[in-house]
Amino acid sequence: MTDDREVPEIRRLGLEPTDLDGHTIEELADYLDAGRTPRDRSIEESPGCQLALDALQRLHGLGSELLDAETAAEPEVDPTWVERVLSGIAMDARAGRRIPFASEEPDTDLGITEGAVRGLIRAAEAAVPGLLIGRCRLTGDVTAAGAPIRIEIDASALHGQSIPAVADRLRDEVDRALRTHTELNVTAIDIAIRDIREVPTWTEEKP
Amino acid sequence: MEDERFRRALEHADDRIVAGRAADGDVEAFAVLVRRYTPMMRAYTQRMLNSSADVDDIVQESFVTAWQRFGELEDLSKVKSWLMRIVSRKAVDRIRALRPAVDIDSIDRPAPLHTSPSAVVEMRAGVAALGAALRELPDAQRECWVLREIGGYSYEEIAEELDIPVSTARGLLARARKYMIVRMEEWR
Repeated sequence: MTDDREVPEIRRLGLEPTDLDGHTIEELADYLDAGRTPRDRSIEESPGCQLALDALQRLHGLGSELLDAETAAEPEVDPTWVERVLSGIAMDARAGRRIPFASEEPDTDLGITEGAVRGLIRAAEAAVPGLLIGRCRLTGDVTAAGAPIRIEIDASALHGQSIPAVADRLRDEVDRALRTHTELNVTAIDIAIRDIREVPTWTEEKP
Repeated sequence: MEDERFRRALEHADDRIVAGRAADGDVEAFAVLVRRYTPMMRAYTQRMLNSSADVDDIVQESFVTAWQRFGELEDLSKVKSWLMRIVSRKAVDRIRALRPAVDIDSIDRPAPLHTSPSAVVEMRAGVAALGAALRELPDAQRECWVLREIGGYSYEEIAEELDIPVSTARGLLARARKYMIVRMEEWR
């Protein structure tokens, strides 16, 4: 068996400046990156450059295809892997600002974290079947007792649900939860439905 | 049952919703991102390093960093490319720890040929040929190519990541492209 480098066709596609009418692969790659504008006649009219441009373009498209193919070929993610990752993170990383409660006792300092308030808001989604809360933001000076606070919630609903009805239910539920558990002076609860999920299985499928 | 339904719903929610929850400190949502993007991050890291050693550690460290820095992610719908950037940086850090400077001697060293002629027959698909050619590239060329064509980095960003002049990065990429085009042409 001969050395497999000595395949006769190896030089069929020339990529040196002599094959490219004086241009280089670097130049051609830049030309492609620029969307072949401004049009360069010495490149466009050179057969050698055209071959090289085609090859570069093919190569360029294959990078993301390769990643997709290899991502799909990876084994399914193992639950022990997820546990391993989660065991390495700090659970209270996003406690956020501290929200004070008014206290009768001058020496007692009561409060709740912003993260805990977000947790309360997320828990309200359970009252609206199919709804999922995404990011929620508390705008206003939550560190000052009684300051007006606006709540902004991103959410995802199921296809087929009435968006205004779902938003209203969630708003009522969040309002109730915050009144029950906090002293926040909530002036508005804005809900943006950002995503509609096409999941027919929410009510039908058994786990 | 209720929990299970909730978990499924979260698995189906789009990146913006899931990342929004994770950014707010919801561990379950973060776990969804771990399941969703571990395969991509592993595949990318293996290409960067040309090896499977250390891949688990790099991907795990990347998720830890992501969790700590979620507040910096402005556009939640871009969580996928944000995670790619993080894992890419971790992979480069590993490369630099193992090889403090780009080995300029390796730039022109002929790449070892890993691909047997019988394997070549199997390589009708462009992606398989690309993967094989990529494995043969010298380290610095491969790293530049992966950063550029899979990671979507600019020349300037590649230079900064690998701590080399922009002109060197451009030269390495040109060499990598030439080698891969010629190699893939042979297999067609």
